[in-house]
Parts: sequence; structure tokens; C-alpha cells
Amino acid sequence: MSKEYEIFARHPERVVSGQEVVLTLRDLSPGRRKYRGVNVRAVVSRPPRPGEPTLWIRSVVGLRDPKPCSVRIVEELPEAFEAAPYSDFFEAMERAERR
Amino acid sequence: MAHSDMRGFLAAIQSTSDLITIDDEVDWDQELSGLGRLGCERNAPSFLFNNIKDYPGWRIACNPIATWRRMAVAFGLRPDAPVPELYATYAEREQHLIPPVKVKDSRCKEVVIPGDKVNLFDLPVPMVHEGDGGRYLGTWDLVVSKDAKSDWVNWGMYRFMVHNERLLTGFPRPTSHLGKMLLEGYVPQGKPMPIAIAIGCDPLSHLAAAATFRIAGNESELAGGLRRAPVELVKCETSDLYVPADAEIVIEADVYPDRVNQEGPYGEYPGYRSGEMGNAICARVRAITHRKDPILTLDTTGFMDSSATTTSISGAIAIQRRLEANGIPVKAVYVPPEGGVHLAIVSVRKGGAHVARKVVETLTVRRALISKVIVVDEDVDVFNMAAVLHAFATKCHPANGIHLTRYVGRANTLTPAYTQEERVTRTGASVAFDATWPPDWTEDATPVRATLDSMYSPDIQRRVLARWKALGL
Repeated sequence: MSKEYEIFARHPERVVSGQEVVLTLRDLSPGRRKYRGVNVRAVVSRPPRPGEPTLWIRSVVGLRDPKPCSVRIVEELPEAFEAAPYSDFFEAMERAERR
Repeated sequence: MAHSDMRGFLAAIQSTSDLITIDDEVDWDQELSGLGRLGCERNAPSFLFNNIKDYPGWRIACNPIATWRRMAVAFGLRPDAPVPELYATYAEREQHLIPPVKVKDSRCKEVVIPGDKVNLFDLPVPMVHEGDGGRYLGTWDLVVSKDAKSDWVNWGMYRFMVHNERLLTGFPRPTSHLGKMLLEGYVPQGKPMPIAIAIGCDPLSHLAAAATFRIAGNESELAGGLRRAPVELVKCETSDLYVPADAEIVIEADVYPDRVNQEGPYGEYPGYRSGEMGNAICARVRAITHRKDPILTLDTTGFMDSSATTTSISGAIAIQRRLEANGIPVKAVYVPPEGGVHLAIVSVRKGGAHVARKVVETLTVRRALISKVIVVDEDVDVFNMAAVLHAFATKCHPANGIHLTRYVGRANTLTPAYTQEERVTRTGASVAFDATWPPDWTEDATPVRATLDSMYSPDIQRRVLARWKALGL
């Protein structure tokens, strides 16, 4: 079975722009580690590119966009983003993207 | 007699037919929480899952006190004790705080897992709802934290989500006591804040943690008062915090003063997943301890979950105390569980616009969890929702009886009615519906309620009731 991930996005159009973006992926592989999070720099493609893991995009209220994407992980990032507690997580990801 | 640990409580609710034990294998990925969710929606017994897919040896207890029957058993009362009796019990016991006692031996440390061996995926953390941001470990917990500048120790009930093997993200709101401690005491110094997440304690300790309690108050003393016996506490492995010695599981962690990560979205107690994500804290686990054959507790959060009853009772009493302290002639307060902790009914001995406005302003000074308050006259039983609805529908003037207050920075980000922008800025409003008669109306011009006890003479009432009884009704 090919690898699948999901993300939660406030602005999905940014994610599928074809540019490198910073994301928190949730690994949907079955088993004890299902839903493990990993922060990455990646490129998302829609429609999905053959051979790449499938990516599903969910909205901020958790609804899944039925159209699948694929994701190519460029690099794995540290497990947390630098920002004060309660900072906006999406803005913290965008700041990490610009570094 | 109140219960000293979760297992004693589970045995008690099994004896009253308020617990169903399930030995067949159930999946931690939505299946068992789906059962729990339906249980809340149907006012069903609690569930104890003894056989969890991928996690032999672990158990999960679901929705400990999500019904008034189980709440009554938690208090040591008969299971059919009426709600006003539960309120009165809480109100009486919270007046007699009992300090905790420190002990050396504890069952919560029968198994100790040091930081380098910690793997949160070794715990059967459930995926509660389809579409949640991740697996939620803290749904029915008791989170201990200590003020950086004083001896104040806080217990709170806050949600925590698993990010990876050692990282948690959580949503104690910035306006919560934990949030206040973190932002005012630790973040300015760039210091991590130790916390301990205790899971599966006795039910009244969790009730105390979830309670609306005064700033600088120690909920462990409230728990002792509610139990009528001190809580036994034991020191953590990696910090100076103390946790209930009979907890099933304890997660010791440090909250980062300078890191964030994804948290949420999550289907919450108002009954919705509202998209409040992007505003949370991040913690690294330093140790896990647990009892043998541990039981993880789960509140399948949503409409009519355990917080509906716990906040109904503790929130209502806290509202009553605050209104009394502010000189409002309050008689009784009820927070109906069906209102998702957004609605309070307040009866007053003397009503009117001035009183209704003062009620809503008093309840939104620091943080505003309740967004609707119905103010009724003292002859309306606040626990009788038919009577409350009748008063609201008929006595609240549609133009002059609605009193609105707006605020920024302290709104409840979980209120489903708010826009995403309002959530980010914590901008909101609360409203009081004045369902009292204006105090300047004279008795001879005030409408008379068309009920037996109001519109008939005492003699007729006596005769009607006697005939009613004779008819066998």
C-alpha cells in the first residue's frame, strides 16, 4: 500500500501552488504510529504525480477535500516551530518557509 | 462515601448498572470513541473497553461522569438523586476545603518510563473523531502546574494531542489559569514550565480540576472537600509537582516557552469542531508513570459529554457565588447540560433591566465562557426548563429585554457562532435575556400567570388537588 498523509490547511490554495511549502504531515500508515506528525518542507502536486505519496487536505474544521494530491518531501524540519506559546501556528509555518 | 480512585468508582457504577464492560476487541481508531459518542447522545451507561486493538494489556474507560446518575454515584449519593440535590451537595462541600496529604508510596508509579524510553505511541491514545487534528491523550485529565512566582498550584482539565513519540500539543486557553501561569511566569524568563498530566484519578478530583475556581486557589483542596477526604499526592519523577497517588497514568512534561506546533482541530464540548486550531502550546514529555494494567480515561467530547455535567454543576455554583459577591440578588443558577456550557439560567429576587445588565457584565469581566444568560424571577424554577422557556418566550421584551455586552481578547474561541477571525482575536459578545417583570410595574398591572397555583384561589386549588388525587392521577 502506498504511503498516505494528510494536512490541515487554512489556505489550501497556498499548499497546492507548486512552490515549496512548510507543512505538518499526519502519517496515515496503519498501526500504532498512525497520525504521527512530522514537519517538512515539501512540494504538493494536484493532480497527484505517479510514485509520490498521496496527500489529503483537510480544512480547519477537519473536512477532507475529496480531490487527492501528492507530496514530495524535500527535507524534514525540527519537530516544533520557533514562536511564543499561543502564536498562530499557520503564521509560524509561513515564517519557517521564508527561512 | 466518595471513591479514592478510578477503579473504585468503576466498580460502584457497575453495581448500579451504569457501566458496560466490553471484552471483544475494539479499535482505538474512532470505533471505541464512536461508541462513547453515541453513549453520550443516548444518555447510556459508561463503557470499559478491556481489549483494544494494537494495545494488549491496556484498557480505556469512557465518559466517567457524563450522566447525572454517574455524577451522583461519584458523590456517594444514590444514583437517582435529583439534579438540585447534586447542586446542593456540591455547594455545601465546596465550602469545606480539605488540604491534600503527601505520601511516599503510590500506585501511579508501579511502572516508571524515563524520558529516553518514552514513546507516546505505546499508549492506546484514541482517535476520537474522524477529522480531528490527531490522537487526543488528554480528554479527561487533571493537569498540574505551578506558578513561577508563588506557591499557587493549579489543577485544570485541558486537552492534549500527540504529535510524535515525545511531543504533545495542548489547548489550555491563554485565559485559563495554566495559560496565565505560562504567559506571565515562564515565557518572560524563557523557562520551560513543568506540567504533569494525571489521567484516571478519582472522579471528584477530575471534577475539581474542571471546576471554575478562584485564581490562586488550589483545586486539590476543592477535591478534598468534594470527596470529604484529603487527596493523597506523590511527587513527580522529574519535577517538584505533586500528582494524585492513585492516578492510572501520569505524563510529566515541560511546556516550551518558545515553540508551537499543530494542535487541533478537535470536536469540542460545545458540540462542534469549530476550527480554533493554530493557537496552542507545545510540551515535551520527560517521563511517563502508570499503574499495572492501566486504564486510560476518555471523554468522547461533544454534545452532552462529561464536561456538560461537570461544568453544569461547578460552573453554576461559581456563577452564583460571583453574582452574590457583586451584590446581585440571585436566588438560584442552573447551567443546562444541553446548552454546551454556553447558557445559564439565573433567577433573581428582584429583576429588571439594571439587574440583567449587571448579571451579564459581571460574568464577562475576565473571561467569557457563557454567551447567553436568561434572567428569570424567583418564582421560576431554574431546573424546570419548561418553566424557563415559558418565561423567556413570554416575559422577555423583544426590543428592550435583550442586553448585549461585547469584548475583545477574552471570548470563548470554542463558541461555534464566531467567525474564524473572531476566534483568532478572541472577540465576542454575551447577552442577557431579561425574562423578569420590570420592577416599576405595579402588582395590579402585572400579568398574572394562568396556572393552577397562580390564577385560582387557595380553596379551589385544594378542591382540585383533592379531586385529582381521588381520580388516581
